Amino acid sequence: MFDLSINAFFMQLLTGLQMGSIYVLIALGLTLIFGTLGVVNFAHGALYLVAIYLAVSINDAMGFGMALVLVPTILFILGLAMERGLIQFFYNRPHTDQILVTFGLAIVIQELLKWVFGANNIPFAIPSWGNGIILMHEWFPFLEGFVVYPKWRMILVVVSIVTVSAVFALLHWTTFGLVIRAGMRDSEMLQFLGVNINRRFMIVFGLGSLIAGIAGVFGGPVTQVSPEVGMHLLVPSFLVVVIGGMGSLSGAVLAGILIGMAQSFTAYDINLSTIIIYLITVIVLLVRPRGLLGAKGVFE
Amino acid sequence: MTDVKSDKSNKSASGWSRRDVLKASSVGAVGAATPMFFTKNAWADGHDAIGNYPVKGSEVVFGFNVPQTGAYADEGADELRAYKLAVKHLNNGGGMLETLKPSKLTGNGVLGKKVTYVTGDTQTNADASRTSARRMIERDKVIMVTGGSSSGIAIAQQYLCHELGIIFMCGLTHSNDTTGKDKRRYGFRHFFNAHMTGKALAPVLSSEYGKDRRAFHLTADYSWGHTQQESMQQFTEAEGWATEGNIMTPLKTTDFSQYLAQVLNSDADVLVLNHYGANMVNSLTNAVNFGMRDMQKNGKNLEIVVPLYSRLMAKGAGSTNIDGVLGTSGWNWALQDEGSKVFVKAFTDEYGFPPSQAAHTCYVQTLLYANACEMAGTFYPPAVIKALEDFEFDGAGNGSTLYRGVDHQCIKSMLVMKGKSPSARTSDFDYLEVLQEVDRATADYDPSIFPGELGPYKPA
Repeated sequence: MFDLSINAFFMQLLTGLQMGSIYVLIALGLTLIFGTLGVVNFAHGALYLVAIYLAVSINDAMGFGMALVLVPTILFILGLAMERGLIQFFYNRPHTDQILVTFGLAIVIQELLKWVFGANNIPFAIPSWGNGIILMHEWFPFLEGFVVYPKWRMILVVVSIVTVSAVFALLHWTTFGLVIRAGMRDSEMLQFLGVNINRRFMIVFGLGSLIAGIAGVFGGPVTQVSPEVGMHLLVPSFLVVVIGGMGSLSGAVLAGILIGMAQSFTAYDINLSTIIIYLITVIVLLVRPRGLLGAKGVFE
Repeated sequence: MTDVKSDKSNKSASGWSRRDVLKASSVGAVGAATPMFFTKNAWADGHDAIGNYPVKGSEVVFGFNVPQTGAYADEGADELRAYKLAVKHLNNGGGMLETLKPSKLTGNGVLGKKVTYVTGDTQTNADASRTSARRMIERDKVIMVTGGSSSGIAIAQQYLCHELGIIFMCGLTHSNDTTGKDKRRYGFRHFFNAHMTGKALAPVLSSEYGKDRRAFHLTADYSWGHTQQESMQQFTEAEGWATEGNIMTPLKTTDFSQYLAQVLNSDADVLVLNHYGANMVNSLTNAVNFGMRDMQKNGKNLEIVVPLYSRLMAKGAGSTNIDGVLGTSGWNWALQDEGSKVFVKAFTDEYGFPPSQAAHTCYVQTLLYANACEMAGTFYPPAVIKALEDFEFDGAGNGSTLYRGVDHQCIKSMLVMKGKSPSARTSDFDYLEVLQEVDRATADYDPSIFPGELGPYKPA
């Protein structure tokens, strides 16, 4: 039953925020790649999957600090290799081709990881500094009694905010970002001006993978480490991109939080909770086909 | 003029025309076929042809349909290991063939035929499991199908096998429905069920945590989860507990935080996780992250209960998380009865590690089917079914056991388990300790509490 007490509302709000944070981190890479390269990358969930398996392995062997450094780096390199080895050949192909090839790649990666690590969950230990709970009632005096929330999930929210801010800063306040944004508008013109836009697009793909790496390191202990996780997160993350507007970073953030909140506040009813994200998607697409903050004419 | 030739002109010197020869051949052929024609589907031992009976040739084929991909793939892999070991023992002797009593198994195959097998992948998906089972039955001509690591899948295969006249020996399925409302004449379950779990676990919970408790259930939204939740609620309420709430959670959920937040908002001081496999691993891990294992509610420690435990799940969740958590299992490799010891030794010699409870139930099911064929003296399914019904046996790891005839549920002892702390573990397979062995009489129940009909011995 829906609980309207202030404590219940606050807890569901926090939960929605942390669920949205994972969606945002995954959707950010998806929408960045689509916005710049025009590629619908269904293998992005698989990149997250690679990231959580790498993270749990490195964390167990060398500690969380090394996982934090190595996983995004490896994912960045993997992204570059993926773009050069496969994705670049599909830039000018229809979106259906892109979806088919990246979806196929996702399944291959998932089965490979299952073959190597097995189908069962691998426990991802939270580092000692992130373990424990935060006594929310000490921070928010309007709460009644004893209200706690896992520290790691709040760290995840902060990481998500920092990552989103860094990507925004990179795209809006650096020359690299300026060129990328110009390339998103008219890549042909940029090439006439002598800019090697392909190389920059390759880096953008690597950047999208790197964000999946960050999501994997911090999201792994929350989503857990098993072969199906990538696919489970891909659909809501893709819907986040669609609702926010294909290629819109701020749209992805807004939609991610919206979806997280919607799922959190409908958790008491499985039927409503299952359909809510699809319901929102249908309503948004009917009312505003280009998504909440999507550019006019893109997937409209 | 006429084109009609006289009869005489067509006759040969012997007096037979071509037409006479054709007529005589036809009459002869019909006459020769008459006994078979009027006794359609009848065979040498007097039984009708049902499913893939009669078995032709020197080999008999078993079908092992397990999840080789999907969420339960690791359990499926262990089941398959057990099935292969059972086939090895049926053909060459060894293992529980030495301890199962009564037994007509000789270690020379079944009814003089060498046992071979085919495997299929259920993908932990009902449609895929049906397709795979049908392929085994129609293409590979299996005489029996066994497997499954989920109740939904076991029930789906059980219905299909019943229609096609093939006996289905259930693998890992714990829903009350399998031998309750969805029971079928051609389906048999050795594993225990959710009702037995509730019956065995509730008194232990009451004794460990007290009678004044409030439980909140998170429940996997499918057949097994529903019946597990109902049984746990029924038996814990009988112990005096109150039920604060129950939320159905989608099977594919990986992050349970939105549900756990609801639990925290309630007055519950016990969280019952009616989850299995990856679901349980994730929900328990999430609950621990929420600090629930160190929390107090209503002046008592907040406790977490996992009604159905398995070693693979415990390993997935990690021993820190399962330390002290109570649940039930059908069997454990540490049991010291003769049947368990020979099985664990044979399995460990073959694969290098001890078997899971899924492996145990699948191994025993294969032997029980083979033994029933030997007892019946035929592969004819109705005769084999009758041999299995109300079969009393021992030496298979759960003490004296009855394969109850009215619902095809094995009535046997079971285990209440407790998660071991990291320091108490002795190996990578040692995650759970047996807290209590619940005897057969305690686990037994009146089968009429569940609806459903077994159906006829001969499929329509």
